[in-house]
Amino acid sequence: MYRRLKDDLFVLFAFASALLAILPIFHILFSVFYNGIPVLAKYGVEFLSGTLPPPNKAGGGVFPAIYGSLTMIVLSLMLGIPLGVFAGVFIAEYPSSSISKAARTVLVIILEFPTILVGLFVMAVMVIPMGRFSAIAGAFALTIVMLPYVATYTEQAIRSVPQHYKEVGFALGLNRFRIVFSITLRIAKKVFITGLLIGMAKVSGETAPLIFTAGNVWRSTGALNEPAGAIPLWIYYLVQQPYSNYHEIAWGAAVVLLAIFLVIFLSARLMVRS
Amino acid sequence: MSAITIEKLFLRYGEQEVLRGIDLEIPENVCFAIMGPSGCGKSSLLKVLNRLVEMNHNVKISGDVKLFGNSIFKMDLTKLRRQVGMVFQIPNPFPHMSIYDNITYAVKCNGIAKKKEELDKIVEWALKKAALFDEVKDRLKMRANQLSGGQMQRLCIARALALKPRVMLMDEPTANLDPISADKIEDLITELKNEYTIVMVTHSPGQAARVSDFVAFLYMGRVIEVGKTEEVFENPKNELTERYVTGRIG
Ligand SMILES: Nc1ncnc2c1ncn2[C@@H]1O[C@H](COP(=O)(O)OP(=O)(O)O)[C@@H](O)[C@H]1O
Ligand SMILES: [Mg+2]
Repeated sequence: MYRRLKDDLFVLFAFASALLAILPIFHILFSVFYNGIPVLAKYGVEFLSGTLPPPNKAGGGVFPAIYGSLTMIVLSLMLGIPLGVFAGVFIAEYPSSSISKAARTVLVIILEFPTILVGLFVMAVMVIPMGRFSAIAGAFALTIVMLPYVATYTEQAIRSVPQHYKEVGFALGLNRFRIVFSITLRIAKKVFITGLLIGMAKVSGETAPLIFTAGNVWRSTGALNEPAGAIPLWIYYLVQQPYSNYHEIAWGAAVVLLAIFLVIFLSARLMVRS
Repeated sequence: MSAITIEKLFLRYGEQEVLRGIDLEIPENVCFAIMGPSGCGKSSLLKVLNRLVEMNHNVKISGDVKLFGNSIFKMDLTKLRRQVGMVFQIPNPFPHMSIYDNITYAVKCNGIAKKKEELDKIVEWALKKAALFDEVKDRLKMRANQLSGGQMQRLCIARALALKPRVMLMDEPTANLDPISADKIEDLITELKNEYTIVMVTHSPGQAARVSDFVAFLYMGRVIEVGKTEEVFENPKNELTERYVTGRIG
């Protein structure tokens, strides 16, 4: 009887903690959709294609921010995925080489680094020499932010595969490249893709590394070597303004950001399945 | 000519000496068993023969191994590994690939065949050789990890045979199988030794007695006794061998 009670209490406690852990996520999702969807409905497609309206004027949209976000996300993925994957492969395959040891340390440091400092670093090495903020600098900062996630998960994926698969690969006369990319990483697809996903999630949601790099603009020419807007940057600046239509637009932009997030997330999930 | 000649082979992992002067002659087209208690260096010895042991960065080897008269240490590594196939203790077909792809992947990578008709032929041939064809012929596109353990191991044998090796290394190929599947593999080895030189590691004297023509007893990195299987089992010259084959060390 007493034991039953103890078991039940334990289950109740575990359930309550789990609820407590996921509740904030639901709260965020709920408030974003609750406040944002009516905005999208009110502004219509112009919300995706238009530019920022003057204060307290109806209409307008967040196109420059979407454009900036997408270009910087795509650029940073194009740079960060290959770099991160190769770094992870190298660390896993040559664990005792001094380059691996150095790379591992650097990755841990980046991982623990406040992302705003990554932005400051890129400002020093790119923005100042170039003389202006740019989409490229923003993308580069995002690449640095995502690198350790992609590299670490790639390394973990390779390590999680039993050694004898690698051995049989060599025994069949395959080279290391083929073994890693056609066998090991395929067997550990789940861990590997999780790393890519977390990397993508990082670059699509980060604000801080963009502040000193992309600069932010409300209207852009679209050139990659010029300052760029980004959805999280817009949200960050718009909510600080005293105009109610800017607050509306910020909520709407949050829905767009979540949607981009979900599309990336779901397509990666589908990739894992197939 | 012998298929494999091992001369004064020493092997160390870091400071730990594992093989301490091995000399062996392995004739062509026989099943040559290497038996001995766990940890005596059997797998290490086997993995010298296709130079897989060199994957370990701390390994140091001295001495020589000749494959049909040529030193394996002077041979192109890919060429060596095409001539010397290997089957492992844990059945390890590539779990994410189909039965068909398991066999064709290395065939394609090694440039042995590319066209579909050629590959189809190789798959059928290899599966027949490994006594697996009839069981899987209707589901070649099925993932290999859905096979039973015994079928997986025969698929691994087929995968190795598809590269047309002359020598097959088998490291305790039945250690992780149920007795019936193990029997099938033993029958298969008896069949294959007519065409291939099979070097089989086993920690079971019974298995060595059943399937091998020659046997070497390895103990603490040294060959204690080697000879025709019948002779070694009926008339062991060394007391250690006698104790091992009668199950008193192991
Ligand atoms: N990669 C390695 N690094 C260090 N020591 C090893 C390694 N592989 C095997 N050994 C050691 O070498 C000895 C022989 O191992 P092994 O060849 O696997 O023996 P067996 O196959 O007869 O059980 C054991 O003591 C084992 O611990
Ligand atoms: Mg062993």
